[in-house]
Amino acid sequence: MMQFLLLFSRQGRLRLQKWFTPTPEREKKKIIRDMTAMVLARKPKTCNFLHWMDLKVVYKRYASLFFCLAIDDQENELLALEILHRYVELLDKYFGNVCELDIIFNFEKAYFILDEFLIGGEVQETSKQTVARCIEASDMLQETMEEYMSKPAF
Amino acid sequence: MSDVVERTLTALPSLLSSDPSPGRPSSTSKLGTLIRGITELTSKHDEEKLIQRELVSIKEQVSSPNTTMRQMKELMVRAVYCEMLGYEASFSYIHAIKLAQQGTALDKRVGYLAVSLFLNESHELLLLLVNTVLKDLQSTNLIEVCMALTVVGQVFPKDMIPAILPMVEEKLNHPKEIIRRKAVLALYKFYLIAPNQVQHIHSKFRKALCDKDPGVMSASLHIYLEMVTEKPEGYKDLVVSFVTILKQVVGGKLPIDFNYHSVPAPWLQIQLLRILSLLGKNDRSTSEMMYEVLDESLRRAEMNHNITYAILFECVKTIYTIHPKAELLEKAAKCIGNFVLSPKINLKYLGLKALTYVVQQDANLALQHQMTIIECLDHSDLIIKRETLELLFRITNGQNVKVIVEKLLEFLRHSKDDYVTIDLGGKVTELAEKYPSEMI
Repeated sequence: MMQFLLLFSRQGRLRLQKWFTPTPEREKKKIIRDMTAMVLARKPKTCNFLHWMDLKVVYKRYASLFFCLAIDDQENELLALEILHRYVELLDKYFGNVCELDIIFNFEKAYFILDEFLIGGEVQETSKQTVARCIEASDMLQETMEEYMSKPAF
Repeated sequence: MSDVVERTLTALPSLLSSDPSPGRPSSTSKLGTLIRGITELTSKHDEEKLIQRELVSIKEQVSSPNTTMRQMKELMVRAVYCEMLGYEASFSYIHAIKLAQQGTALDKRVGYLAVSLFLNESHELLLLLVNTVLKDLQSTNLIEVCMALTVVGQVFPKDMIPAILPMVEEKLNHPKEIIRRKAVLALYKFYLIAPNQVQHIHSKFRKALCDKDPGVMSASLHIYLEMVTEKPEGYKDLVVSFVTILKQVVGGKLPIDFNYHSVPAPWLQIQLLRILSLLGKNDRSTSEMMYEVLDESLRRAEMNHNITYAILFECVKTIYTIHPKAELLEKAAKCIGNFVLSPKINLKYLGLKALTYVVQQDANLALQHQMTIIECLDHSDLIIKRETLELLFRITNGQNVKVIVEKLLEFLRHSKDDYVTIDLGGKVTELAEKYPSEMI
């Protein structure tokens, strides 16, 4: 099961945080500090896995963003790495050649996509098309509503 | 209706792009300004001041009776952002719930998102969400049903489960697969936080397992993995089903949509492998039903991609957990060997991990690779070093204990992490107790 997912920049600025288990605020802050410090300190050519307390942390850098996923002992690290990759693929499909700015300025959309892909710490949907279609459907709904609401009232 | 769709489709690209067009204020422009403002600042103190000002402004606007749901949505997004940066915005929690309640479409969606990010299961405000969720579950708008089920699967108060259970159960029979799937996942969440509440619908899980849509079936496996972990004997009759499903997946019978880089439904495969390993443990007859499909999985996962290695790793784990079969063990051992000898560092890590797992049953395997293990001891990557020490700890015997303890102590001396220190320190003590004479 996954415990949390963090996205942060090379300067350590948090761009997205998702906690799959209830965690008190103070602990969240500490975790974010520790994770950022640990991951940013890793040299290139080292493996993508870290140990932190009794958790394994899987991280990967995509362009200027670090994706960081914490899993429990039973999980398969390589699989977790692919979960991160799948999420990046979904973001890329939605935003079209996604970059950090897309995620910064549209982070709520990044969350929507994440929520269609992972729920409660488990992979929800393994079909890329279905996730994309679901988000598009919700977006369409919103745009139709916006159109409707911006129509003049006579 | 069709011209609305047409207009929507033409408007879509500009609405979805992140550049706000000059004439129309984008709904995220205030967020954009905030973010750009923060990026320009250099000191933490300045950032604090800016955010505090922002929070005051948000607080004023959320309490004003004139704020529309549209504006509230935008305010919630900014509040989520501020909380993400570490500043507290608890005054906005109640408004997030209100937004989910009273908003429509995207406003409602942002409301639900904000609630799932702000609150956790034990928060008292969460009770206010229950009615909204109940209402949305009965909505004729399927997207609202989806939103409600998504939030239920993430954060829901334990005590209110009985109120919502019948409605969620009903969704298991919905014609749309996405709703059936989300209903299964909501039930999985309920099972995790209150298992006795969902025991009675075991037969409905079985139905989900045989669902014609692979997504729904895959979701039901999460619940099955939990149940099988607790009580493997209760599910032996399902072994045939699991083996059949795995055969079909490995044989590529699923729709091509479920392929991930040409590998058929890898997450599904791995879930099934885990379930099978629990069912086959210490049970010869059950294990015998699995040998063929395990062999097939090993064979098929030949490609050079991380995901196939992940599947191979699980296969190997399964083979070593269930009742042993010589040919499979041989193939699995070869696999582990390939991992350990691989130049790719992630695979080396997995190889060491696998060796640690199997060393109880097959100490020879570790001996076979002892040169590589010794190399890994001096690896520049601390994580590899640590895994190697884990492995060595398990293959300690009277002859090598002194050397191993020395290595452990050396690592300890350079370790700055408390947890690691405690863990390894404990191991050294354990070894000292086990081989007191050698330690002198």
